[in-house]
Amino acid sequence: MLDVHDLWAGYGDVAAVRGVSLRVAEGEATAVLGPNGAGKTTLFRALVGLVRPRRGRVRFEGRSLEGLRPHQVVRRGIAYVAAERELFPQLTVLENLELGAYARPDGLRERLAAVFDLFPRLAERKSQRAGTLSGGEQQMLAIARALMGKPKLLLLDEPSTGLAPRLVAELYRRLDLLRRQGVTILLAEQQVGAALSLCSRVYVLKNGTLAFEGDSSDLRGSSHLHSAYLGGA
Amino acid sequence: MGVILDGLVLGLQLALLSVGIVFVYGLGGVLNLAHGQVAVAGGLVAALLVQARQHPAVAGVVGVLAAGFLALGMDRTLLQPAYRRKGEERLLLALILTLGASFALDGFYTFRYPNVALSLRLATPSVEVMGITVRTASLAVGALSLATFGLLLAFLKGTRLGKAIRCIIQNEAGAWLCGVDVDRARSVTLFLSGLLAGVAAVGQGFFSFLGPDMGPEFTILSLIVAVVGGVRSLTGTFLASLLLGVVNAALSYWVGTYLTWIALLAVAVATLLVRPEGLLAYWP
Repeated sequence: MLDVHDLWAGYGDVAAVRGVSLRVAEGEATAVLGPNGAGKTTLFRALVGLVRPRRGRVRFEGRSLEGLRPHQVVRRGIAYVAAERELFPQLTVLENLELGAYARPDGLRERLAAVFDLFPRLAERKSQRAGTLSGGEQQMLAIARALMGKPKLLLLDEPSTGLAPRLVAELYRRLDLLRRQGVTILLAEQQVGAALSLCSRVYVLKNGTLAFEGDSSDLRGSSHLHSAYLGGA
Repeated sequence: MGVILDGLVLGLQLALLSVGIVFVYGLGGVLNLAHGQVAVAGGLVAALLVQARQHPAVAGVVGVLAAGFLALGMDRTLLQPAYRRKGEERLLLALILTLGASFALDGFYTFRYPNVALSLRLATPSVEVMGITVRTASLAVGALSLATFGLLLAFLKGTRLGKAIRCIIQNEAGAWLCGVDVDRARSVTLFLSGLLAGVAAVGQGFFSFLGPDMGPEFTILSLIVAVVGGVRSLTGTFLASLLLGVVNAALSYWVGTYLTWIALLAVAVATLLVRPEGLLAYWP
């Protein structure tokens, strides 16, 4: 579904992503693991057009994404939930969700019902301003807003950041539900255990290059790989 | 009482002038120092058309459109290098680019049209409203400004693009990720800022006086309003404009025009000291 080949990207003189290739298969959940500064966020930002790649190609459903601006990538069916969540703090939960459907205003009501079904907490808070939500609720809202655009591929950048362990587990249960509903997921994560529980395919980034790729069972079974690439996490 | 009313009318015009600079800043991270010259362009075009014996209404509409397209043109050409940068770098580069444009436009206006001034001096009898004697011209300008503001609000609250513009002001990256074409929304905003400034200038010209050299004054006035009202708040801009309009009119009436600039800047400085975010800025 998503095919990335030899992608280079970065800010200023520094290339944070150096020659990364990866594939995401339709209907699967795929993880990009690695420590802070490994280039995960830059990789995602390059995929959605927030950073212009310097080299390499990205194809989505067989069509190149080259030169597309973020709003055009969204319209192709890729939604990106940034680690910073990028909500509209002064708008209510409901207004945030409506803006999530900006590119596809049809069928708004059904999709609202669907995301409220997935995150009942948001339904309770729908007239509250997004800036007043707790960290966990903001993360749910960010994911729900991305789902409002009916994406085929959902990119999640460190969804567990700032969440208590109990909330992380709950969040990943919801993500698993989403995957089974047919949403393809590509996620960057530092919490290896959580990511491995959801994803079947794993890439490990280190200093902007791929250090490992394989099935998550390879990584789960090998403490050697774990300590080599992920600092024993 | 008449002074207060004059001040409110002046304030409404200030609001039209300032809302553009505020919106362009909030949305594009760019302070347009040629904003006053954009307004003057609208007034000048209207004045030239009136001289060419066009109907004042036609002249006014064409003038307003001219200001809008001038601002749009600046967005599509002059400001492009600035948009490619972020944050402070973008702001500084845009300051210099628009400052340059303001000098160029000022020079062009005063060199090419030194004696063109828009002043129709429409018959303006005074009438009594609730016991206050006012010039009908003031009422007309006030009504025009209010109506324009109403249209702006309807656009911002009622249309998809308007809502997108409001959300960009809160979070540009978030807007991109929702599928909003931020570049296009920015162009629309520049265009709107030009239209609004054009309405202010043409209104001023029709009912009092507008000269080719008034650009810098307009820019500075709208910058003061932006400081007092907070650079991200529409309501703040509106209230600050009314406040400064009344202060201005009252001082001109009781003290003399020479002090009004000092007083306006003093209000701005006081605001910066007491509420640096502006009167109604969003709380963090």
